[in-house]
Amino acid sequence: MHLTDNQLNEYLDEATNERAQIESHLSSCDECAARLSTLQSLFVEIESLPEQALTRNLAAPFTLRPSLPVPQLPTFLTLTVILQAAIALIVLIIAAPFVIQLIPAIEMPSLPNIFSQLQSQWTSWLDILSTFQVPSIPEIPILEMSSLAFVLAGVSVLWILGNGLLLRNQMK
Amino acid sequence: MNAPSDRDLILQARRGEAEAFGELVTRYQTSVFNVCYRILHERGEAEDLAQEAFIRAYDRIHIFDIEREFGPWIRRVAANLCLNHLESQKVTTEIDDERDADSAQLPEAVQEVSERSEQIRSALASLPANYRIIVELRHYQEMSYDEIANELNIPLSDVKSHLFRARKLLAEKLHAPD
Repeated sequence: MHLTDNQLNEYLDEATNERAQIESHLSSCDECAARLSTLQSLFVEIESLPEQALTRNLAAPFTLRPSLPVPQLPTFLTLTVILQAAIALIVLIIAAPFVIQLIPAIEMPSLPNIFSQLQSQWTSWLDILSTFQVPSIPEIPILEMSSLAFVLAGVSVLWILGNGLLLRNQMK
Repeated sequence: MNAPSDRDLILQARRGEAEAFGELVTRYQTSVFNVCYRILHERGEAEDLAQEAFIRAYDRIHIFDIEREFGPWIRRVAANLCLNHLESQKVTTEIDDERDADSAQLPEAVQEVSERSEQIRSALASLPANYRIIVELRHYQEMSYDEIANELNIPLSDVKSHLFRARKLLAEKLHAPD
Protein backbone atom coordinates (compact mmCIF):
# COMPACT_ATOMS: atom_id res chain seq x y z
CA MET A 1 0.00 0.00 0.00
CA HIS A 2 1.37 3.43 -1.00
CA LEU A 3 1.76 6.54 1.13
CA THR A 4 -1.02 9.11 0.91
CA ASP A 5 -0.49 12.71 -0.29
CA ASN A 6 -1.20 13.90 3.24
CA GLN A 7 1.54 11.67 4.63
CA LEU A 8 4.05 12.97 2.09
CA ASN A 9 3.10 16.60 2.77
CA GLU A 10 3.32 16.14 6.53
CA TYR A 11 6.65 14.35 6.14
CA LEU A 12 8.17 17.24 4.19
CA ASP A 13 6.65 19.78 6.59
CA GLU A 14 8.18 17.86 9.50
CA ALA A 15 4.77 17.57 11.08
CA THR A 16 4.32 13.84 11.43
CA ASN A 17 4.82 11.28 14.17
CA GLU A 18 5.18 8.47 11.58
CA ARG A 19 8.56 9.58 10.33
CA ALA A 20 10.30 6.22 10.80
CA GLN A 21 7.52 4.24 9.09
CA ILE A 22 7.38 6.66 6.17
CA GLU A 23 11.13 6.52 5.66
CA SER A 24 11.04 2.75 5.81
CA HIS A 25 8.36 2.68 3.13
CA LEU A 26 10.17 5.20 0.93
CA SER A 27 13.34 3.13 0.95
CA SER A 28 11.47 0.19 -0.57
CA CYS A 29 8.91 1.94 -2.82
CA ASP A 30 10.20 3.72 -5.93
CA GLU A 31 6.79 5.11 -6.81
CA CYS A 32 6.32 6.86 -3.45
CA ALA A 33 9.96 8.03 -3.50
CA ALA A 34 9.33 9.59 -6.93
CA ARG A 35 6.17 11.32 -5.68
CA LEU A 36 8.09 12.67 -2.70
CA SER A 37 10.81 13.95 -5.01
CA THR A 38 8.26 15.73 -7.20
CA LEU A 39 6.68 17.36 -4.15
CA GLN A 40 10.10 18.37 -2.87
CA SER A 41 10.89 20.02 -6.22
CA LEU A 42 7.68 21.99 -5.95
CA PHE A 43 8.71 23.22 -2.50
CA VAL A 44 12.08 24.30 -3.89
CA GLU A 45 10.42 26.09 -6.80
CA ILE A 46 7.96 27.94 -4.57
CA GLU A 47 10.63 28.98 -2.11
CA SER A 48 13.14 30.03 -4.77
CA LEU A 49 10.93 32.87 -5.91
CA PRO A 50 13.25 35.90 -6.02
CA GLU A 51 12.37 39.02 -4.07
CA GLN A 52 11.23 42.02 -6.05
CA ALA A 53 12.53 45.52 -5.46
CA LEU A 54 10.30 48.35 -4.33
CA THR A 55 9.67 51.29 -6.61
CA ARG A 56 9.29 53.72 -3.70
CA ASN A 57 10.73 54.17 -0.26
CA LEU A 58 8.15 53.17 2.35
CA ALA A 59 10.25 54.75 5.10
CA ALA A 60 9.81 58.21 3.59
CA PRO A 61 6.68 59.15 5.58
CA PHE A 62 8.65 58.46 8.76
CA THR A 63 12.05 59.90 7.85
CA LEU A 64 11.18 62.84 5.64
CA ARG A 65 9.15 64.74 8.17
CA PRO A 66 9.05 68.41 7.13
CA SER A 67 10.94 70.55 9.60
CA LEU A 68 9.02 73.44 11.06
CA PRO A 69 9.70 76.70 9.22
CA VAL A 70 11.76 79.17 11.23
CA PRO A 71 9.68 82.35 11.71
CA GLN A 72 11.33 85.24 9.90
CA LEU A 73 10.50 88.93 9.79
CA PRO A 74 9.53 90.36 6.40
CA THR A 75 12.47 91.89 4.54
CA PHE A 76 11.10 95.42 4.68
CA LEU A 77 10.69 95.17 8.46
CA THR A 78 14.23 93.86 8.91
CA LEU A 79 15.58 96.76 6.82
CA THR A 80 13.53 99.26 8.82
CA VAL A 81 14.89 97.91 12.10
CA ILE A 82 18.47 98.14 10.83
CA LEU A 83 17.88 101.69 9.58
CA GLN A 84 16.34 102.74 12.90
CA ALA A 85 19.26 101.30 14.81
CA ALA A 86 21.74 103.11 12.55
CA ILE A 87 19.92 106.46 12.94
CA ALA A 88 19.72 106.00 16.74
CA LEU A 89 23.45 105.33 16.86
CA ILE A 90 24.26 108.44 14.78
CA VAL A 91 21.98 110.60 16.94
CA LEU A 92 23.65 109.25 20.08
CA ILE A 93 27.09 110.04 18.73
CA ILE A 94 26.05 113.59 17.75
CA ALA A 95 24.19 114.22 21.02
CA ALA A 96 26.81 112.76 23.34
CA PRO A 97 28.99 115.96 23.69
CA PHE A 98 25.92 118.11 24.41
CA VAL A 99 24.60 115.67 26.99
CA ILE A 100 27.99 115.58 28.73
CA GLN A 101 27.93 119.40 28.92
CA LEU A 102 24.40 119.44 30.36
CA ILE A 103 24.94 116.78 33.06
CA PRO A 104 26.70 119.03 35.58
CA ALA A 105 23.90 121.61 35.21
CA ILE A 106 21.23 119.14 36.30
CA GLU A 107 20.59 119.10 39.99
CA MET A 108 20.47 115.55 41.13
CA PRO A 109 18.53 114.93 44.37
CA SER A 110 20.55 113.32 47.12
CA LEU A 111 19.93 109.67 48.07
CA PRO A 112 18.39 110.39 51.54
CA ASN A 113 15.94 112.79 49.87
CA ILE A 114 14.82 110.09 47.43
CA PHE A 115 14.24 107.65 50.32
CA SER A 116 12.24 110.16 52.33
CA GLN A 117 10.07 110.93 49.29
CA LEU A 118 9.45 107.24 48.69
CA GLN A 119 8.58 106.72 52.36
CA SER A 120 6.03 109.53 52.34
CA GLN A 121 4.49 108.14 49.13
CA TRP A 122 4.24 104.69 50.69
CA THR A 123 2.58 106.06 53.86
CA SER A 124 0.00 107.97 51.84
CA TRP A 125 -0.79 104.77 49.86
CA LEU A 126 -1.31 102.85 53.09
CA ASP A 127 -3.69 105.56 54.31
CA ILE A 128 -5.72 105.35 51.11
CA LEU A 129 -5.87 101.55 51.28
CA SER A 130 -6.98 101.56 54.94
CA THR A 131 -9.93 103.79 54.11
CA PHE A 132 -10.85 101.93 50.89
CA GLN A 133 -14.06 99.91 50.93
CA VAL A 134 -15.04 97.33 48.35
CA PRO A 135 -18.50 98.14 47.00
CA SER A 136 -20.97 95.42 47.94
CA ILE A 137 -22.21 93.27 45.08
CA PRO A 138 -25.98 93.43 44.83
CA GLU A 139 -27.66 90.13 45.61
CA ILE A 140 -30.05 88.59 43.12
CA PRO A 141 -33.15 87.80 45.07
CA ILE A 142 -34.62 85.48 42.40
CA LEU A 143 -31.62 83.13 42.38
CA GLU A 144 -30.86 83.65 46.07
CA MET A 145 -27.16 83.52 45.33
CA SER A 146 -24.60 84.95 47.69
CA SER A 147 -22.16 87.46 46.27
CA LEU A 148 -19.35 84.89 46.58
CA ALA A 149 -21.29 82.28 44.63
CA PHE A 150 -22.11 84.92 42.04
CA VAL A 151 -18.45 85.81 41.61
CA LEU A 152 -17.48 82.12 41.36
CA ALA A 153 -20.13 81.48 38.74
CA GLY A 154 -18.91 84.49 36.74
CA VAL A 155 -15.30 83.32 36.91
CA SER A 156 -16.33 79.80 35.84
CA VAL A 157 -18.21 81.17 32.83
CA LEU A 158 -15.23 83.29 31.87
CA TRP A 159 -12.90 80.29 32.30
CA ILE A 160 -15.08 78.08 30.10
CA LEU A 161 -15.35 80.82 27.48
CA GLY A 162 -11.59 81.33 27.56
CA ASN A 163 -10.92 77.61 27.10
CA GLY A 164 -13.46 77.48 24.32
CA LEU A 165 -11.66 80.27 22.50
CA LEU A 166 -8.29 78.59 23.00
CA LEU A 167 -9.49 75.20 21.77
CA ARG A 168 -11.54 76.63 18.91
CA ASN A 169 -8.85 75.99 16.33
CA GLN A 170 -8.19 72.42 17.50
CA MET A 171 -11.86 71.48 17.31
CA LYS A 172 -12.12 72.52 13.67
CA MET B 1 29.70 52.13 15.99
CA ASN B 2 27.24 49.22 15.84
CA ALA B 3 23.88 49.76 14.20
CA PRO B 4 21.07 49.97 16.77
CA SER B 5 19.09 46.78 17.30
CA ASP B 6 15.43 46.51 16.36
CA ARG B 7 14.60 46.65 20.05
CA ASP B 8 16.52 49.94 20.47
CA LEU B 9 14.75 51.43 17.47
CA ILE B 10 11.36 50.37 18.82
CA LEU B 11 12.12 51.99 22.19
CA GLN B 12 13.22 55.19 20.42
CA ALA B 13 10.06 55.14 18.30
CA ARG B 14 8.02 54.81 21.49
CA ARG B 15 9.67 57.99 22.74
CA GLY B 16 8.32 59.74 19.64
CA GLU B 17 11.37 59.51 17.38
CA ALA B 18 9.72 58.81 14.05
CA GLU B 19 13.10 58.57 12.32
CA ALA B 20 13.91 55.48 14.42
CA PHE B 21 10.78 53.82 13.11
CA GLY B 22 11.82 54.94 9.63
CA GLU B 23 15.03 52.95 10.10
CA LEU B 24 12.96 49.86 10.99
CA VAL B 25 10.88 50.38 7.86
CA THR B 26 14.05 50.62 5.78
CA ARG B 27 15.23 47.31 7.22
CA TYR B 28 12.03 45.38 6.54
CA GLN B 29 10.27 47.15 3.70
CA THR B 30 11.50 44.81 0.95
CA SER B 31 10.49 41.61 2.75
CA VAL B 32 7.13 43.10 3.77
CA PHE B 33 6.49 44.31 0.23
CA ASN B 34 7.32 40.84 -1.13
CA VAL B 35 4.82 39.24 1.25
CA CYS B 36 2.16 41.54 -0.19
CA TYR B 37 3.33 41.07 -3.75
CA ARG B 38 3.27 37.25 -3.53
CA ILE B 39 -0.27 37.37 -2.16
CA LEU B 40 -1.72 40.17 -4.26
CA HIS B 41 0.33 39.84 -7.45
CA GLU B 42 -0.16 43.54 -8.15
CA ARG B 43 2.74 45.88 -7.50
CA GLY B 44 0.85 49.09 -6.72
CA GLU B 45 -1.54 47.42 -4.31
CA ALA B 46 1.31 45.48 -2.73
CA GLU B 47 3.24 48.68 -2.06
CA ASP B 48 0.16 50.40 -0.67
CA LEU B 49 -0.63 47.53 1.69
CA ALA B 50 3.01 47.22 2.77
CA GLN B 51 2.89 50.93 3.63
CA GLU B 52 -0.39 50.37 5.47
CA ALA B 53 1.20 47.54 7.47
CA PHE B 54 3.98 49.85 8.65
CA ILE B 55 1.53 52.62 9.52
CA ARG B 56 -0.51 50.17 11.61
CA ALA B 57 2.65 48.92 13.27
CA TYR B 58 3.62 52.51 14.11
CA ASP B 59 0.18 53.13 15.62
CA ARG B 60 0.56 49.98 17.76
CA ILE B 61 4.22 50.45 18.65
CA HIS B 62 3.33 51.25 22.27
CA ILE B 63 1.55 47.91 22.74
CA PHE B 64 4.03 45.82 20.73
CA ASP B 65 5.64 43.10 22.87
CA ILE B 66 9.29 44.14 22.89
CA GLU B 67 10.36 40.52 23.44
CA ARG B 68 8.98 39.47 20.05
CA GLU B 69 10.94 39.76 16.85
CA PHE B 70 9.78 42.70 14.78
CA GLY B 71 10.46 41.17 11.32
CA PRO B 72 8.22 38.10 11.54
CA TRP B 73 5.55 40.13 13.31
CA ILE B 74 5.36 42.87 10.68
CA ARG B 75 5.31 40.26 7.89
CA ARG B 76 2.38 38.56 9.59
CA VAL B 77 0.59 41.90 9.93
CA ALA B 78 1.13 42.44 6.20
CA ALA B 79 -0.11 38.95 5.31
CA ASN B 80 -3.28 39.46 7.34
CA LEU B 81 -3.86 42.85 5.76
CA CYS B 82 -3.58 41.28 2.31
CA LEU B 83 -5.98 38.51 3.23
CA ASN B 84 -8.53 41.03 4.50
CA HIS B 85 -8.01 43.06 1.35
CA LEU B 86 -8.60 40.04 -0.89
CA GLU B 87 -11.67 39.00 1.04
CA SER B 88 -13.10 42.49 0.78
CA GLN B 89 -12.36 42.68 -2.93
CA LYS B 90 -13.40 39.17 -3.98
CA VAL B 91 -12.09 39.74 -7.47
CA THR B 92 -9.60 37.84 -9.50
CA THR B 93 -6.24 39.49 -9.38
CA GLU B 94 -5.21 40.78 -12.74
CA ILE B 95 -1.77 40.26 -14.09
CA ASP B 96 0.56 43.16 -13.50
CA ASP B 97 1.58 44.06 -17.03
CA GLU B 98 4.34 46.44 -15.98
CA ARG B 99 6.27 44.08 -13.81
CA ASP B 100 8.47 42.49 -16.48
CA ALA B 101 8.43 45.19 -19.07
CA ASP B 102 12.17 44.95 -19.60
CA SER B 103 12.44 41.16 -19.55
CA ALA B 104 12.95 41.02 -23.31
CA GLN B 105 16.26 42.85 -22.89
CA LEU B 106 17.65 40.39 -20.32
CA PRO B 107 20.22 37.66 -21.12
CA GLU B 108 18.69 34.29 -22.04
CA ALA B 109 19.49 32.50 -18.74
CA VAL B 110 18.22 35.42 -16.66
CA GLN B 111 15.18 35.64 -18.87
CA GLU B 112 14.40 31.96 -18.28
CA VAL B 113 14.59 32.45 -14.51
CA SER B 114 12.45 35.55 -14.81
CA GLU B 115 9.85 33.70 -16.87
CA ARG B 116 9.76 30.78 -14.43
CA SER B 117 9.39 33.20 -11.51
CA GLU B 118 6.54 34.82 -13.34
CA GLN B 119 4.88 31.42 -13.87
CA ILE B 120 5.16 30.71 -10.14
CA ARG B 121 3.73 34.13 -9.28
CA SER B 122 0.87 33.62 -11.71
CA ALA B 123 0.20 30.15 -10.30
CA LEU B 124 0.17 31.58 -6.76
CA ALA B 125 -2.12 34.40 -7.86
CA SER B 126 -4.57 31.91 -9.36
CA LEU B 127 -5.11 30.20 -5.99
CA PRO B 128 -8.10 31.08 -3.83
CA ALA B 129 -7.23 33.79 -1.29
CA ASN B 130 -7.39 31.47 1.73
CA TYR B 131 -5.03 28.98 0.04
CA ARG B 132 -2.64 31.76 -0.96
CA ILE B 133 -2.28 33.06 2.57
CA ILE B 134 -1.53 29.60 3.93
CA VAL B 135 1.15 29.00 1.30
CA GLU B 136 2.65 32.38 2.22
CA LEU B 137 2.69 31.60 5.94
CA ARG B 138 4.02 28.05 5.53
CA HIS B 139 6.58 28.44 2.74
CA TYR B 140 7.79 32.03 3.11
CA GLN B 141 7.25 32.74 6.78
CA GLU B 142 8.03 29.16 7.84
CA MET B 143 5.20 28.89 10.33
CA SER B 144 4.07 25.51 11.66
CA TYR B 145 0.55 24.16 11.11
CA ASP B 146 -0.39 25.12 14.68
CA GLU B 147 0.97 28.64 14.31
CA ILE B 148 -0.96 29.13 11.07
CA ALA B 149 -4.14 27.82 12.70
CA ASN B 150 -3.69 30.29 15.57
CA GLU B 151 -2.80 33.15 13.29
CA LEU B 152 -5.78 32.69 10.99
CA ASN B 153 -8.08 31.42 13.72
CA ILE B 154 -9.08 28.31 11.76
CA PRO B 155 -9.02 24.59 12.68
CA LEU B 156 -5.79 22.65 12.19
CA SER B 157 -7.57 20.31 9.77
CA ASP B 158 -8.43 23.29 7.53
CA VAL B 159 -4.80 24.43 7.53
CA LYS B 160 -3.69 21.02 6.32
CA SER B 161 -6.40 20.52 3.74
CA HIS B 162 -5.99 24.05 2.29
CA LEU B 163 -2.22 23.73 2.16
CA PHE B 164 -2.21 20.31 0.52
CA ARG B 165 -4.83 21.33 -2.03
CA ALA B 166 -2.94 24.53 -2.76
CA ARG B 167 0.22 22.54 -3.45
CA LYS B 168 -1.66 20.18 -5.71
CA LEU B 169 -3.09 23.08 -7.69
CA LEU B 170 0.32 24.72 -7.94
CA ALA B 171 1.88 21.47 -9.17
CA GLU B 172 -0.82 21.09 -11.82
CA LYS B 173 -0.30 24.65 -13.04
CA LEU B 174 3.49 24.62 -12.97
CA HIS B 175 4.02 21.16 -14.41
CA ALA B 176 1.23 21.20 -16.94
CA PRO B 177 2.48 20.50 -20.50
CA ASP B 178 2.64 23.71 -22.60
